[in-house]
Amino acid sequence: MRSVAEIVFAAGVPHAPAIVGLFDKATPEQQKVVRDTYASLSAELRKAKPDLIIVFANDHMTNSRVLAYPDFLIGMAAEHRGPHEWFKPWIGCRDYAVKGSPAAAEALFRGMTRRDVRMFGSRAPLNFDDNVSVPSVLLDLDKLGVPLVPVLQNCTVPPIPDQHRCYEIGRKLGDLVRNDLPAGQRVALIGSGGLSHEPGGARYMFIDEAFDRWFIELCVEADHERMLKELTIERMEAAGSGGTAELLSWVVVMGAIGERRGHSYGYAICSDFRCGIGAVSWKLAA
Amino acid sequence: MGLEKFDPTLAGHDLVQDLKWNPALRAEFKADEKAVLDRYALRPDERRAIEARDFKTLYALGFHPYLGGQLSRFIYGNDAGGGALVANKKLIASLTGER
Repeated sequence: MRSVAEIVFAAGVPHAPAIVGLFDKATPEQQKVVRDTYASLSAELRKAKPDLIIVFANDHMTNSRVLAYPDFLIGMAAEHRGPHEWFKPWIGCRDYAVKGSPAAAEALFRGMTRRDVRMFGSRAPLNFDDNVSVPSVLLDLDKLGVPLVPVLQNCTVPPIPDQHRCYEIGRKLGDLVRNDLPAGQRVALIGSGGLSHEPGGARYMFIDEAFDRWFIELCVEADHERMLKELTIERMEAAGSGGTAELLSWVVVMGAIGERRGHSYGYAICSDFRCGIGAVSWKLAA
Repeated sequence: MGLEKFDPTLAGHDLVQDLKWNPALRAEFKADEKAVLDRYALRPDERRAIEARDFKTLYALGFHPYLGGQLSRFIYGNDAGGGALVANKKLIASLTGER
């Protein structure tokens, strides 16, 4: 057993509800990208043999009022169920229940507090929309038997933590995994969100393909100085206001693992998805 | 129009959150929208915009677009392949003026 905990899997994944509920509207080629992407990620996740999964994902104002909105909300419950009742017909996915880890959630909260990061926690079960539900059902996390700690992130209620802040929080998360979690623990990190989309906006059906392909390449290249310089809030807003900034959850993961080359699983653009679809996993040291 | 006009103090945000979290309120909103709106401290122009389904004005007042999209689904429908598509079209038509 290794003397410290380690990150054994790291990926950024899309959670657009339509890749479940409107999957049949896509062409066979588009469906293949979605299916193959999630099948590959599921296989890699299982091969990594994690014993804890931490998912960072946009909260989408599903748990908190605008007047009291946390930037990071840790799910500390012993079990996580979804999707929340109102989102079921909209997402169209099956119900799921994934066991939680109150102990790991407390370690995360405690460790972030000691690293001067203000997070919030909820011992009561959180509401999940597509943010956690789509990766949970497409990766079959409920069948994996590995505890999950969700961290719901503010990616849409201004002011939001920008790329520099999210990367710094990710860097502290990596330090926390290595120094605070039990020796030998194997941690999977998933950033859930994106790619370009503008939920509820005048450009609801707009997908910025050029941005999406640029961002995927940025994730693959592992030049984080460039990423932090170029992946600004303004650039993400231009690619889809209120939605594209979900990619900040991927930035947290990149901060935790440092500069690692990524692997892209392709890209699908389907107007019915109302969101560019792509995923990246990062190669970690053996 | 993005988030630059966002006004977190609009009471309509609480309306949408409550509709999302409370199925009984959702049913009442369908049956008697006026009675539900009466319980929120909506600004007069905010209320008029909600009643007129005028999302463009609502957003200009500072309503968050993500919650605007959800408001449209409370009004027009929420299922992926049916009502939600109608809601999207109605919302976009209001925002772009292409009715």
